[in-house]
Amino acid sequence: MKRSYFSVAVLALVVAFLYVPIVLVFVYAFVPNGITMSFHKANGEFIGFTGRWYAQIFRGDYALKDLMQSFWLSLKVAGLATLVSCVLGTTAALALHRWRGRLQSIHHALVYTPLIMPDILIGISLLMLFVACRVDCGFWTILIAHVTFCVSYVVMTILARLQDFDDRLIEAAYDLGAGPWYTFFKVELPLLMPGIVAGGLLAFTLSIDDVVITSFVNGAGTNTFPTYVNSMVKHSKNLPSVFALSTLMLIFTCVLVGLSKLITGGQQQQKKGKTK
Amino acid sequence: MKRTTFAKTACAALAAALASAGCAPSNGGGDAGENPLADSVAAAAEAARFKPPEGGAGELHVYTWSDYFAPDVIETFEKELGCKVVIDTFDSNEAMYAKLKAGGTGYDIITPSSYQIALMAKEGMIRELDQDRIAAVKANFDTSFESQILDPSFRYSVPYAVTYTGFAYLKDKIPEGADVNSWSILGCEALKGKITLLDDIREVLGAGLLATGHDVNATDPAAIEEAVQQVLKWKPNVRKFDSESYKTEVASKATYVGQGYSTDVMQVIVGDEEAGVEPRDDVGFALPKEGFSVAFDEMVLASDAKNAGLAYAFMNYIYQGAVAKANMEYIGGPNPVKPGIDALDEDYREQIVLPAELLPKAKLLKALDDAAMDLYNKAWDRIKATGGTK
Repeated sequence: MKRSYFSVAVLALVVAFLYVPIVLVFVYAFVPNGITMSFHKANGEFIGFTGRWYAQIFRGDYALKDLMQSFWLSLKVAGLATLVSCVLGTTAALALHRWRGRLQSIHHALVYTPLIMPDILIGISLLMLFVACRVDCGFWTILIAHVTFCVSYVVMTILARLQDFDDRLIEAAYDLGAGPWYTFFKVELPLLMPGIVAGGLLAFTLSIDDVVITSFVNGAGTNTFPTYVNSMVKHSKNLPSVFALSTLMLIFTCVLVGLSKLITGGQQQQKKGKTK
Repeated sequence: MKRTTFAKTACAALAAALASAGCAPSNGGGDAGENPLADSVAAAAEAARFKPPEGGAGELHVYTWSDYFAPDVIETFEKELGCKVVIDTFDSNEAMYAKLKAGGTGYDIITPSSYQIALMAKEGMIRELDQDRIAAVKANFDTSFESQILDPSFRYSVPYAVTYTGFAYLKDKIPEGADVNSWSILGCEALKGKITLLDDIREVLGAGLLATGHDVNATDPAAIEEAVQQVLKWKPNVRKFDSESYKTEVASKATYVGQGYSTDVMQVIVGDEEAGVEPRDDVGFALPKEGFSVAFDEMVLASDAKNAGLAYAFMNYIYQGAVAKANMEYIGGPNPVKPGIDALDEDYREQIVLPAELLPKAKLLKALDDAAMDLYNKAWDRIKATGGTK
C-alpha cells in the first residue's frame, strides 16, 4: 500500500502545533539570561543551560515569594473548588436524572448555561454581585466564582454517566432490604465514582488555569498563579522561573494522569477477567 | 559585590524611616549619620503619627508593576517592622484603573504613572496625602526632578521612579552619518526593516509630534495631522509596533534600533552580575535631541487604605538613600532621592540619571481629555492601517 505523504504531513503539523510550544517552555526554563531570553552571548558564543531557575524555586528565593504564594493559592482554590463542585454536582445530576418535569428542564438549562456563557460575562456579573453585596473580593469570592463554573462541568459529566446507569440495580437493592441511604452509598455512589472523578479532574484543570473570571473577582493579595503570571509576562526578569514552575506542573500532571490510567486500567482488566 | 552590605545600610535607613514615621528605632541611635536630614527633619514632624501596634504592624498591600521594588528592600522592611508586604502587580495603567473602577479594594499603596493620577483623584480612588507624615520624602526629594513631575507639592502622590523613552540600539549597526540622538534616525534608509516602534499610542504619536516640533501633549488637530504624516514617513522602515520583545530583539541583533523605555534597555546594557548576565557594551541607549517623553510612576494612597500609617512609613522608607540606591540598581532607572543618587557608583549614575543639559528636553506625558483622546485614537488607527513593510 502506498503511504500517503499528505496525511503524514498533516499529522506532523498537528503534533508540532500542539507540542512545540510546550517543548519551548521546557527548554527556556534553562535559559541562562533572563533579561534577553538568549542562550548566546553578544558575540554569538553559546553559553549553555542553567538550573538556576529551578534552584530558585526549590530554595524558596525571596524574589519568587509572591509567585510561589500565588501558586499555592491556586492549588488551594482548585482543590476546594473541585471538592465543593463534586458534591454539588453529584446531587444536582442525581436530581436531574431522577425527576423530570418543567421545573427540572429549567434546572437543566440553568446548569447548562455557564458552559456556553462567555467567561468575561460570568466574571463581570459576579463582580457586580459582590460589589453590590459589599463583599470584599478575596479568597472566598474566587472560590465561589470557580465553583460556579466548575459545577456545570461536573454535572454534565455525571449526567452522561447516569445515562447508561441501570436503575434496576437500585430496585434490586431495595428488594434486598437496603434503605435509601445505604443504597446511595453502597450502590449508586460507587457506580458513579468514575464519572465524579472525571468531572472533578475537569473541574480542577479548569479552576487552576482560569484567568478571565479570576481577574475580575480577586482582591488585594489574592493573585492566583495564572493571573500573577499574566501580569508579570511583559516586564519581569524572573520569567524563566515561571517556565520552570510550569514544567514542574506539567510533569506533576503527567504523573497524575499516568497514575489514574494505571488504576482505572487495572480495574478494567479485573472486570474483564471477572466477566470471563 | 554591591549588595552584600545592603542589609546593614538598609537597616540604618529603616531606622531613619521609622524615626521619621514616629517610632523608636529598635537598634539604638548609631544610625544618625546615615540620613541626618531625614532624621532631624522627619523625626520631629512625624513623632506620634505612626506607631506599629503591639505584635506587628499588619499587612501592607502594594499594587504595582512587576519587578518594581528590590526584593531585599521589601524583605528588610517586613522584618524590621514585623509586617507583611503583599505585592500585586498590573501590566498597564489601564488595567490597574479598570480593576479599581470595578470595585477592586484592599490596596494601600498604588504606583500609577503620573498622568493617571489626576483622574484617580477625581474619581475619589485615592486620598490626599497627610503632608506631615511624608517628611522624609520632602527632605530627600531631588529638586532637579521637579520639572518632570506633575505635582511637586505631593498633594496626592509621591514620585517613585522615572522612565525615559528613547532608542535601544546596536552601536556597530548605526550607519555612518546617521544620528541616533535624533528622531530622524527612524527615517534612515539603511535601517529599513530593522526598526521597531513601541506599540503605544502616546509614545508613537508623541514621537511624531516631537519630531515635527510640537508639544508632546498637543491636542491641535493640525499638529496631530503633521505627526501622523511624520510617522507614516517612518513606517516603511518600521518592522513592527512592539512594546515587549524589542529589548530581546536588540540583544539578539534582530532589531538595530528599537524605540524603548530606559529602564528596560538599561537592564540589558548593565546586565546582572548576580544572575550571571554579562553587560552588553555593544548596546546603547539614546535620547533624541528634539525632545523625548518622560513617565513618572508615583506612589499614591488608596482612599480605602486600611493601613495608612504603615503606608506612610513605606513612602518615607523608599526615600532613604540606601533604599533608593538598591531600588535604582534593581530597576535600572532613577528615583528622585538625593541621598540615593549621591550614593550610586559614578559610572552607573551617569548611565541612568539624566544630565542637567538634557532636562529641558524631557517632556512629561499628561492626561488628555476625551475629545483629544478621540483625535489620538483616530490618528493611531490610520497609522496602524496604512501599509508598512511587507
